Amino acid sequence: MSGKIRALPWKGLLGVWTTLVIVLSLALPMVARPEHWYEFPIVPGLEDKARIIFFHVPTAWLSVLAFVSSMVYGIRYLRRKDLHDDVRSASAAGLGLLFCLLATVTGAIWAKFSWGAFWNWDPRQTSIFVLLLIYGAYFALRSAVEVEEKRATLAAVYSVIAGVVMPFFMFVIPRVLESLHPEPLLNLEGSAGSIPVPKLQMNTTMLAVFLASLAGFTGVYYWMWTLRVRAGTVELRRATEGEDRD
Amino acid sequence: MTEFLAANPLYIVLGIVLVIWFAIVGYLMRLERRIHDLEQSNTR
Repeated sequence: MSGKIRALPWKGLLGVWTTLVIVLSLALPMVARPEHWYEFPIVPGLEDKARIIFFHVPTAWLSVLAFVSSMVYGIRYLRRKDLHDDVRSASAAGLGLLFCLLATVTGAIWAKFSWGAFWNWDPRQTSIFVLLLIYGAYFALRSAVEVEEKRATLAAVYSVIAGVVMPFFMFVIPRVLESLHPEPLLNLEGSAGSIPVPKLQMNTTMLAVFLASLAGFTGVYYWMWTLRVRAGTVELRRATEGEDRD
Repeated sequence: MTEFLAANPLYIVLGIVLVIWFAIVGYLMRLERRIHDLEQSNTR
């Protein structure tokens, strides 16, 4: 059964799925009062710019997922001392950094059209910038240590600390400080204090496309992660074979 | 066509995003093949 599931051309399906999501998210019309299933509601203050949520939110979500899985594999490495876990942890952290960068760039492009400047040191922007620094330092640490086991142990400890700190920068600080960022999607009662911020209210179609986008991006992340892990495993095997020969 | 795109610039964005997406898929497929070859050469 599992062999049959594995044999499914899931990468082809993922390609078709994500292409459909891209087309739907950008081509469906936005109207003031949706009357047909294929219409999105206009978000006052954002209009067409609200379509960024189909790309920006999934990249931010994936950076969280990647940082958490990096921490989980870091913990596993510390318990089992298996270098394959280090490869998995580093691969997830690398993709987390990539998606965090993508979230920053898509957010900055949106900010240019909504706030008038690419960068405003808004709490959201500041906190994601600090996250980029934290995970940038993770790779600086990895490149500074040559001995594999020592590098893996230090990186695992760092990924655990960074994974614990990450939710504060991603979820807590932007909600505590006043921000111009649109209200969080999963915090309908939340407010950014005295500053009026646009509130996203999706209809069923918009929510379905948004969730489909989340699923599609998660599939792409998984595909990229497996590729990185496979490449890392080949590299690890070659390194150990080289050591055995010496 | 030009008039249609000028009136609906969102379709230009859609075209660019689709080109980027297809480039990413193509790149991942190529990587997949290369890694598969590396794995095969490693097992030999």
